[in-house]
Amino acid sequence: VSSYEYRAWLMLWGLGPAYIAYFGLQIAAPAWLVTTPQRLICFAAAAGFQAVVCLIGMTLKGGDRDEAPMSDERDEAIDSRATRAAYYLLMIGAVAVGMGMPFSQGGWKIVNGTLLSVVLAEALRNALIVRGYRGGRRLAH
Amino acid sequence: LPIETLTNDIRVMRLLAHDMTQANLGKRVGLTRQTIAAIEQGRYAPSLEVAFRIAYVFGKSIDEVFRWTPGDALLGSQAETPPAPDGA
Repeated sequence: VSSYEYRAWLMLWGLGPAYIAYFGLQIAAPAWLVTTPQRLICFAAAAGFQAVVCLIGMTLKGGDRDEAPMSDERDEAIDSRATRAAYYLLMIGAVAVGMGMPFSQGGWKIVNGTLLSVVLAEALRNALIVRGYRGGRRLAH
Repeated sequence: LPIETLTNDIRVMRLLAHDMTQANLGKRVGLTRQTIAAIEQGRYAPSLEVAFRIAYVFGKSIDEVFRWTPGDALLGSQAETPPAPDGA
């Protein structure tokens, strides 16, 4: 597994559980998750979990000497395609959150809408990176 | 229906070149081992520059290493193209 694919897997494993739990709690809105500090702590826990997963994963990968610490044209092509797709998703999210929600929603719904579009874009990017390395479809430069 | 394919003999040429490893070839042409493996398996079509570099390492011309088969769409368009005049 190339280091770029490994990093994308780590991001997916970090993002998935952390933000499924985060948005699940935001939707369920339990009594202990009402005030701004409580919501910020919830967000910090999700971001912290993702950071810990990535740190542990990168520490474990650190011992692999076989991996060349370089990117080549295939890595760049895969990253470029994935980033382009994620950019469009992020743009859709930005338009929805920035141009639609202010007229109908407010406060934490806008914050969570923004966060959702960022998380979805990042998840899409990393999923496409994994697919780029794993997929059987021929990828041209 | 024929589909466009790009195949290559890199694996055979590596074996003939004193069992050159994918990592070694990758190092010489500026690619990772994973990318060399992807090219060998037909999962990645390298840039023209990289294709030239790979051919150069084996002391071959590019068409001795890589083979391209036109796809159905291109074969169809070729049939519609009028033949070039003699001497052109």
